[in-house]
Amino acid sequence: MTLSRRDFLKLATLLSASAALNACAPAVRRLTNDQPVVPWSPLSVADFTALNRITFGARADERARLAEIGLANYIEEQLDFETINDLALDLQLSTFDTLKMAANEIEAVTNQLFDGYDRERPVNELRQATFLRQLYSKRQLYEVMVDFWSDHFNIFIEKEPCFYLKTVDDRDVIRKHALGNFRDLVWASAHSPAMLTYLDNQANVKGTPNENYARELMELHTLGVNGGYSQNDVMQLARCLTGWSVKEHFWLGDFVFKEDQHEPGEKNVLGLAIQESGQSEAEQVIEHLALHPSTAKFICTKLARRFIADEPPQEIIEKAAQTFLATKGDIKSVLRVILLDGLAFAQPKYKRPLNFVLSALRMLSVETDGVAMHNPLMQMGQMYFNWTTPDGYPDTSDAWQGSLMPRWQFAFELIRNELPKTKHNLNGLLDVSSTGSLHTDVDSLASLLLGTPLDRLTRDGMIDTVHSAGATPEETLQIIAASLIASPAFQWR
Amino acid sequence: MLETLPVLHQIPSKPWMPRLSFAPKNTAPRGDTLVVVFLRGAADVLNMVVPHGEDAYYLLRPTLGIARPDDSRKMKEERTVDLDGFFGFHPNMSSLLEAWQSRQLAIIHACGAPDESRSHFKAMELMERGVDDERGPASGWIGRHLATLNTGNSSPLRAVGMGTRPQRSLSGSVPVSALRSIADFHLGGDPRALQQMRAALNYVYQEDALGQDTLSIMDTLQKLDPTNYHSPITTYPDTEFGLALKQTAMLIKAEVGLEVSAIDLGGWDTHFTQGSMTGLMPNLMKDLAEGLAAFHADMADHMNKLTTVTMSEFGRRAYENGSLGTDHGHGSMMMVLGGNVDGGKVHGQWPGLEEGQLIGPGDLAVTTDYRDVLSEVLSKRLNNPATSDVFPEYQPVMRNILT
Repeated sequence: MTLSRRDFLKLATLLSASAALNACAPAVRRLTNDQPVVPWSPLSVADFTALNRITFGARADERARLAEIGLANYIEEQLDFETINDLALDLQLSTFDTLKMAANEIEAVTNQLFDGYDRERPVNELRQATFLRQLYSKRQLYEVMVDFWSDHFNIFIEKEPCFYLKTVDDRDVIRKHALGNFRDLVWASAHSPAMLTYLDNQANVKGTPNENYARELMELHTLGVNGGYSQNDVMQLARCLTGWSVKEHFWLGDFVFKEDQHEPGEKNVLGLAIQESGQSEAEQVIEHLALHPSTAKFICTKLARRFIADEPPQEIIEKAAQTFLATKGDIKSVLRVILLDGLAFAQPKYKRPLNFVLSALRMLSVETDGVAMHNPLMQMGQMYFNWTTPDGYPDTSDAWQGSLMPRWQFAFELIRNELPKTKHNLNGLLDVSSTGSLHTDVDSLASLLLGTPLDRLTRDGMIDTVHSAGATPEETLQIIAASLIASPAFQWR
Repeated sequence: MLETLPVLHQIPSKPWMPRLSFAPKNTAPRGDTLVVVFLRGAADVLNMVVPHGEDAYYLLRPTLGIARPDDSRKMKEERTVDLDGFFGFHPNMSSLLEAWQSRQLAIIHACGAPDESRSHFKAMELMERGVDDERGPASGWIGRHLATLNTGNSSPLRAVGMGTRPQRSLSGSVPVSALRSIADFHLGGDPRALQQMRAALNYVYQEDALGQDTLSIMDTLQKLDPTNYHSPITTYPDTEFGLALKQTAMLIKAEVGLEVSAIDLGGWDTHFTQGSMTGLMPNLMKDLAEGLAAFHADMADHMNKLTTVTMSEFGRRAYENGSLGTDHGHGSMMMVLGGNVDGGKVHGQWPGLEEGQLIGPGDLAVTTDYRDVLSEVLSKRLNNPATSDVFPEYQPVMRNILT
């Protein structure tokens, strides 16, 4: 079913009128025939793993699509994200007004000089929208890359004034270039008021430079810590970046180059002699950094770590880095290497908290407005834009192991339907793929959550264990569903 | 239907039983319990333990510098609190004076690691692994300490990382759990549902050490009553850091076999308007000092079996930057708090802040390697002689910080 733009606007208006928009989300999905519950069958470990790297957790309809067209075509389909219809999600997000605003408009929303101000609204809307996108968008690979770059160019949203500037950074830097070109991405980030203020560059002025942003631009955003720069390069780049700042009055929150704060004189960064030329000085360095071989290697290592393994194969990194340089930073081309060549070498990765929560919700086709996830995710240690330091949330398995209790709590609360405005329909879901006996129900559930059913002995042992603890057959299925989500196997993807 | 089951989030209230032992026999630590506080973000130690005897300090920090103890142009509460005629506490550190005067607090100034990357992330990684470069062992120094010291302690609470994730320093062959809140460490549900959940979790985690530990910690902590815990002597700051220290005290008093507690206090990366008397950094110092002072008072009866160490990945530039902050520097400072410390003393050789004494772009030099301090704590207080396994390829120098 496709809708015209006029239908879209009509639906959007209808929905905006409803105060309880998110309660309508299931209706939206039904209306637009979005993400229907389809039967599922067991997947090979390789396919299940691949799908759980490309998405935030394989839904039944995504499994069906992968089986239908094969992995290579699936990746191409996901890379061509603009052609994927995301109408239901767009409708659901249509009332999140601050997502579309300019910086000064968002600031006004949070400014007590104006009626109806709400300090928390931009942050809440951005976090909730990010969650709903990761949960419901059909452009999953795109959203996975948005998440990757949000870590790479991490901004702590609670640092003033990022609470209203991050929305603009998210839209005009990260989402705009997530599957575009790396040079454009790092260029946009360097001109992003949220990034400049997060790393104190508005305080980087002539005479007494502030090194914070200059250092992280090389260490974390481009070359990497061992990428071949020195403390002197940091200080020189900081001089180039003096005067890169943010407007404080008219067009508050927009980028501005303040000539009068810029340090005069020649600079020398990484052996490049930079003639005095104002704003263009740092821009020349950014051009150089964006396509530097160390940058190619650093970015490709991080991508391979995200998609393939904590210790990814060197050959894949090398090949991806060559592609990075040959295509002058084309992110899609690099991803093709990482995914098409690299996924075959995938090693298990421990799910980060968001991945854990999202995969449970996606696999069980849960309907939620996402608000109830805030507390569990804080307990688990991962909430959007809440990592204070510029390195972003860790991406290796060992960084996240050692805190099972909040995950167990979440699993049981989810299955008991105790999380506010969050509902699964386990029985309805199982009606689609199971014949109705407890044993086939458990097989279907395990297949949905873990890729394949458990072996018979393990399954029967599990049923017996829960049954012996006094559970009725109905309770048994619920306890087993929660335990599968809480299980060691489900913590890995 | 499970949806209709009542949910009981509260554990039935019991009086606090600080001395009741819950752990099996032979789980007491062989040596002291170690508390490691990591100040993340590179704390500006020159404004914490101020070298007020250095003229250069005041030239380098015309706005951020903390006034001399006798500077009559400033109010008394805005002056350095003198410690030994040369160094003094920032006023917001003064809650630690009692520990200092009772000689249970030692300071090691100009202390740190050889790494000069001035990168937070590289410096923290190397320091928490206790190695010189990235080719060293991947495990953490506390993880190797736990692995090399066989105390016979099988408690799942042998080491805990306070917070949402265990610290890098704890990683190794001994599984370590993160603990953010003792009060929240339980599953909801009525006793019947709880029994079913427990049985199912025990089944799916039957071959997983961390899962079994988590179940066992859940059982242990259920017997504590954290909401009724209070110390008659002191109040902890109402912060994450205060909570972490309070929970550490709780676990030590409950004798659950705690050997190491790792605690983070973040936010020290003060490039911009760090504040001298009020603001970002003074608030952090207050949290740190009041937390440690509360812990020290609360644990007075345990001081002979308890050592607390603070550390940070590096120090900050000796001169202030143009935005009333400080950029990344080198030399840092450590504090050691405990009943067997040669306290009331600033240890280490002071390299000075004059030109020619500073290193790199203008940073405090390092004259004591942080591993000297930690090795001494390990060998003298934790009874672990295997410091060469904990810090491979490093020959520690004993600095006699502990008695």
